[in-house]
Amino acid sequence: MRLLLLPLLLLFFGAPVTARAQGERFFPYDYENLTLENGFKSILVPMKGSGLVAYYTVVRTGSRDEYEPGKTGFAHFFEHMMFRGTKKYPASAYNRLVSEMGAEANAFTGDDLTGYYMVIPSEKLETAMDLESDRFQNLTYEEAPFRTEAGAVYGEYRKNLASPFRLAYETLLKTAFDKHTYKHTTMGFEEDIKRMPELYEFSKSFFDRYYRPENCVLLIVGDFEPAAVKPMLEKYYGGWKPGYVAPTITPEPPQTAERQVDVTYTGRTLPLVWIAYKGGAFDPTDKSVVSAYLLGDLAFGENSELYKKLAIREQKVESINGDFGFSRDQKLYGITARVKDEGDIPYVIGEIDKTAEKFAGELVSRDDLENIKKRSRYGYLMSLDTPERVGSRLARTVALTGGIEAVDQLYATMAAVTVQDIQAAARRYLQKERRTVLVLKGAKS
Amino acid sequence: MKKLILSLILGAVLFTMGCKENQDRLVLLPVADDPTVSFKVVFNVGSQNDPAGKEGLAALTATLIAEGSTKKHTYEEVLALLYPMAADVSEQVDKEMTVFSGRTHKDNLDAFYGLLKEVVLEPAFAEVDFVRVKNDFQNYVRTTLRYSQDEELGKEALYEFIFAETPYEHNEEGYVKSLQAITVEDVREFYKKHYTRENVVVGLGGGFERPLADRAWKDFDTLPAGDASPVPAPVPGKIEGIQVKIIEKDVQSTAISFGFPIGVTRGSRDFYALAIATSWLGQHRTSFAHLYQVIREARGLNYGDYAYIEHFPMSHGASFPPPNVARRQPIFQVWLRPVPNETRVFAFRAALRELRDLVENGMTAEEFELTRKFLKGYTLHYAPTTMMKLGYAIDDRFYGIEEGHWLRFSRMLDELTREEVNAALRKHFNYENLKAVFITPDAEGLKSALVNNAPSPITYASEKPTEVIEEDKEISIYPIVVKPENVTIVKADEVFEG
Repeated sequence: MRLLLLPLLLLFFGAPVTARAQGERFFPYDYENLTLENGFKSILVPMKGSGLVAYYTVVRTGSRDEYEPGKTGFAHFFEHMMFRGTKKYPASAYNRLVSEMGAEANAFTGDDLTGYYMVIPSEKLETAMDLESDRFQNLTYEEAPFRTEAGAVYGEYRKNLASPFRLAYETLLKTAFDKHTYKHTTMGFEEDIKRMPELYEFSKSFFDRYYRPENCVLLIVGDFEPAAVKPMLEKYYGGWKPGYVAPTITPEPPQTAERQVDVTYTGRTLPLVWIAYKGGAFDPTDKSVVSAYLLGDLAFGENSELYKKLAIREQKVESINGDFGFSRDQKLYGITARVKDEGDIPYVIGEIDKTAEKFAGELVSRDDLENIKKRSRYGYLMSLDTPERVGSRLARTVALTGGIEAVDQLYATMAAVTVQDIQAAARRYLQKERRTVLVLKGAKS
Repeated sequence: MKKLILSLILGAVLFTMGCKENQDRLVLLPVADDPTVSFKVVFNVGSQNDPAGKEGLAALTATLIAEGSTKKHTYEEVLALLYPMAADVSEQVDKEMTVFSGRTHKDNLDAFYGLLKEVVLEPAFAEVDFVRVKNDFQNYVRTTLRYSQDEELGKEALYEFIFAETPYEHNEEGYVKSLQAITVEDVREFYKKHYTRENVVVGLGGGFERPLADRAWKDFDTLPAGDASPVPAPVPGKIEGIQVKIIEKDVQSTAISFGFPIGVTRGSRDFYALAIATSWLGQHRTSFAHLYQVIREARGLNYGDYAYIEHFPMSHGASFPPPNVARRQPIFQVWLRPVPNETRVFAFRAALRELRDLVENGMTAEEFELTRKFLKGYTLHYAPTTMMKLGYAIDDRFYGIEEGHWLRFSRMLDELTREEVNAALRKHFNYENLKAVFITPDAEGLKSALVNNAPSPITYASEKPTEVIEEDKEISIYPIVVKPENVTIVKADEVFEG
């Protein structure tokens, strides 16, 4: 039997990609990509010495893929339902085995992914693979527990209700997007969350379309031997039937005029100004997107002239920051400021406008650009210190691109960004007709 | 070999330098191939040292150090210097400890260490920085804590309720009025009095060389001498019956916290016995937790239900607690994340009933064995990074645990018997004398329901198994004994006013 396995493996696995073998790379660990015949991809990242393994399954479906009206929030809902068990391992058996391993096990959902992870002692790797591969292929649940879990999901929504940021973000997305599914948050529209208990049949269809091997990527990071893992992958995932059905996502039409929205928070809060420009879709080789990522922090981050002026010297704001992050499709580049006095809101918006104009009109200093590049590189490298943290960072990259080569590509692109590229990004993205201006105030002053 | 691996994971490969004068307050955790170096500078001072009427002073002082100018650089310049290193100096203040932490890549080691030293040893306490930081504190208490973090508000209010009239009573960030009273001179005096040689512990972890450790100790040994003058451990008032504080707010769901002091600290045998039982009852953010199974999984009432015997600040956003929040007087507490208002009494009853069953009946053999197995693996996740290991090593000094907390925990999981755990439960836990905090609307309605022990039947939108329905009948009439004089109602705007 063992003799038969080798040719099968050669057939199913692609050629290993060893990052270090291909020259100077930024990502500091060697890794291998392996793809089964059914399209299921695994990325193995050995990190010796910890005695632990982080086991991440990345479903490249997040709230972005919820395109059917009235059915938002299901990607997140599945994060919950995936703990409801299979015929082989019903929920109680699954929980028991996970508990016996002492695993740190959880899941998370975003716009572009649903991630499931376990951090386990190395010797439990095969047990983890047995459990995880089973539930991704064979999840089963009855309507009654489905309805009960919907209650827990609504509870999760409720626990966030007190936050003014939650209210602001929901409103911002609703205002900024007309067609694209980024219009709703990952939790979903509240009216849809309330209706979830009635959508048992839809939930099964959601699972059937998206939880397929071509749409999932396994990341194994930590203290393990890749040679021992490879046969396990075929054993546990080889029988997973392909059948992914891509969502029908309507692109967002170009925004042609500034949008404004005022929000009232029922409690007491500092006023919040949130200015969000339509950004770019992630592409690690696209200088414009990478330049915009740096621009957000250069112009509005804690080392920016604007932060020093408004937060430290004038003390008009408690905080201000720019988050020009990455997303699979075009989303938002946001600037948030917590303003201390309502009367200063127009002034703060005016200062943000002046900063946008300055970055579009003038070149940033080369020192400032080099400093933010250094910060980005050191920040990323220092975050890769445990299997769990490496898995967590890479899961986001996998969600955006399907692999982790984008890490090296991103930092190579970043190294080549010039001060002229930063200016070009400011001119391209920081245009008033691309933005939504949200102002939130508390009902109690 | 297995023990060696365990030691590596749990961070027990550390040593304190006792060979040179005064170096017994140096904690080192070298990790040869670590490309980064982690620092912790810990002072044995915390909010328990705040003078009356100046509550919040310890936290304000530490924040002004971490987020203010030094004698050599303005705060803007400090930020600019730290920026390319992707490093910062963060502060954390609890009842008994103040810690400054920072981590750097070895490429920037000299520059970072120089800044860390300067920030902690040469703060300018500039008026302009003081005004900014004080204003941030006031906004935090007036707006964020009172309005936008109900879960944290409930837990902080519970500490205040349990430790009334002790140095543990007030929230670390202080009160609205006490913050108003604090001046920059108070900050300077506080620093002078408490940031002394006797009070400091310096920790280094990761890829540093020995000369840096010597240098660090020499640098921090220049702090002035002072009187350590420890604050006596707080003695909370005796709790008789169930005492309730209702923070009235217009909210859609009710956050509930309840608990009592246990007087058992990390290191003692009973602590680990209680840790096992508490893990089974309510391990934070896991489906392993029994309360979670009863209230969330079976009934779908909320997002999670947990139990603790140690402080866990900002637990709504983390899976594991930070180190360096060591306290001599911990409490047992149960935290029910917000439940629909109409189920608030039912959920409270359900949790109390589970606590009663645990105290009265103890853990079963099966529960005990499963929890031991669970914790054998799960305790490996508490301190995965060098920084976390360093923090726990410093805590070990506080609690006097020479072998290290996590190694002792592992050993206790092998040694403790079910009988010992159940005896510790009967000795230290109870379900009749405790304090509870609700954040909820219609406070009078809740008070009436509690003092009248009114039944709290529950209905569901979905079908539930027969055993759940039958158990609900018992939960809904579980006796709650609350005297009217033991219920206090406050408005959200009155909490932490001072």
